[in-house]
Amino acid sequence: MTNNNLILHIPDEPPHDLHHQPTVSVFASSIDPKHANQIVRRLNQIAPLEDLRHVKRIQKKVLEGGQIQLSVILCLAYEGDNQLDHVPPLLQELISSYQLSPFITKVCKYAATSKEEWQEQCKFWPTSYHPRTYNIDGITGFSEEDSQSVLKFMQSAVELATSDGLVVNAAVIVDPSAKQIISTARDEVFSWNTCKDESCYRKSDLSSSHPISNSLDPQKLLHLRSSCNHLKQSYARVGCLYPWQWAEQQSHSESSYYCHPLRHAAIVSIESSAARDRHLFPNDESSKEKNLESDHESLSTSSSSKRQKTVCATVEGDDKLNAQSQTSNQIEDNDKLNTHSQTSNLLSARPYLCTGYDIYLVWEPCTMCAMALVHQRIRRIFYAFPNPKTGALGSVYRLQGEKSLNHHYAVFRVLLPEEALHKCDT
Amino acid sequence: MTSPNTLIFMELAIQQAKLALDALEVPVGCVIVEDGKVIASGRNRTTETRNATRHAEMEAIDVLLEQWQKNGLSMTEVAKKFSNCSLYVTCEPCIMCASALATLGIKDVFYGCSNDKFGGCGSILSLHLKDTASLNKGFKCAGGIMATEAIILLRTFYDQGNPNAPKPHRPLAHQATT
Ligand SMILES: [Zn+2]
Ligand SMILES: [Zn+2]
Repeated sequence: MTNNNLILHIPDEPPHDLHHQPTVSVFASSIDPKHANQIVRRLNQIAPLEDLRHVKRIQKKVLEGGQIQLSVILCLAYEGDNQLDHVPPLLQELISSYQLSPFITKVCKYAATSKEEWQEQCKFWPTSYHPRTYNIDGITGFSEEDSQSVLKFMQSAVELATSDGLVVNAAVIVDPSAKQIISTARDEVFSWNTCKDESCYRKSDLSSSHPISNSLDPQKLLHLRSSCNHLKQSYARVGCLYPWQWAEQQSHSESSYYCHPLRHAAIVSIESSAARDRHLFPNDESSKEKNLESDHESLSTSSSSKRQKTVCATVEGDDKLNAQSQTSNQIEDNDKLNTHSQTSNLLSARPYLCTGYDIYLVWEPCTMCAMALVHQRIRRIFYAFPNPKTGALGSVYRLQGEKSLNHHYAVFRVLLPEEALHKCDT
Repeated sequence: MTSPNTLIFMELAIQQAKLALDALEVPVGCVIVEDGKVIASGRNRTTETRNATRHAEMEAIDVLLEQWQKNGLSMTEVAKKFSNCSLYVTCEPCIMCASALATLGIKDVFYGCSNDKFGGCGSILSLHLKDTASLNKGFKCAGGIMATEAIILLRTFYDQGNPNAPKPHRPLAHQATT
């Protein structure tokens, strides 16, 4: 098995049963091919198909003997509405002037997400199929090299999650263009260090320039000896899996640490990547400007849509930059760069929040964490294990497909055997 | 029906939002109330921290968690405290904050304007609703309280762009709808 089979894209829409795709009823009518252009032009003016842009207005059938039959969609037909009573007057006029005879038919409600879906859809009525237009690495598949790197980062996350006797969720934020770890975190629900002083920001976090060591063997995860399997792990401390568990903690912890019900690994890793940003770029004026593009902008008036576009353009631009730097300079030996040159390198390409970064999480994030990653503009999310009760990236909710949000990341599951979490005591 | 106290607390949340505006942050503010007393307040700090998750709610929650544990409260006691607290926030909590508030088991949430793109209390997701499958107990929620004031602050921020531009006087008419 090659590594790229281990990385599954989790799409924006739940997969439909290929043969039972949702449909809606429409009024259609066959038309004289001679009038087709005029009729379609008029229909687009008076009855545009706003929510059915993937549906073709005209269906063309070649009858026996080579004769061509054209049918056109007039408008949506509402449930249990077999009459033309509710058809708008302008459409009524068109129907009578061309002597059309409307009938009800079904078309597929959602745009096809795969070629197979599209082929099924066209059995009802022709639709158009546009394979994903935005370009995020991996959606159309990973190269062997990229999937190696994905597996290595996921392995770091798993190692972090199991590094202490109790298994928790862990997060690793990565700059994929430099194959560099930006920040790492474990859940701190039961081990919150309240120190907020900037000096508390440990130097070790800054040495995050440690590129993944080549000694890590991604295959190792897949060839764990079965002798580990009998160790039954408890995942009760995994924040995203059991967000309500914190309240069960009976006594005050003896250590200097407090509890913090919301310090899930993703939240902590965002905090530490923000701290890194402040440390590396202490007085960055442009950040103020950029942060105006914040998440309450929806509430403002028309100007918000313009801002939104600016954000999108920026993100796309960054993606292109990343793609370029990835191909042109494969930085393999980041550890050789000293902090100074690293800083100056970064200065030229300081990202806005986590734009362009990936995050590796052992478990599918809960709703809070998934939304935090929207806010912080993460580009891709990789997780190993689904979160059936509170997961927000496919299990319960699917934030990557919430159209109203101002940022959309791509989500992937990295298929690991559960034994990856079971450490051998050897 | 909006009780007079609701308006008083929302007025305090709006003052927090104004502090955010003065600091060139998106103007959203909140207060947390226990037994009729304000015990914590917070305002948006996303620009200052470069951490887009530092919403007003998160700021106020962190204050309480630290304080209560410094006072020696156990987690069970902290949970009990939250179940007796009300949040007043100028804008509908986003999906992240609504999820956090449900995790903490807050008693109820009163908000100003709704959040059409990110709202987690009915606009996009309804995380305030009880959900037995995930054990989410949810929380009571009421919106539209002094929404006009909240929106004016946000418009001031986005439309004027210029932080030094004169801010409009606080409108006196309250248009609470719940
Ligand atoms: Zn979480
Ligand atoms: Zn929020």
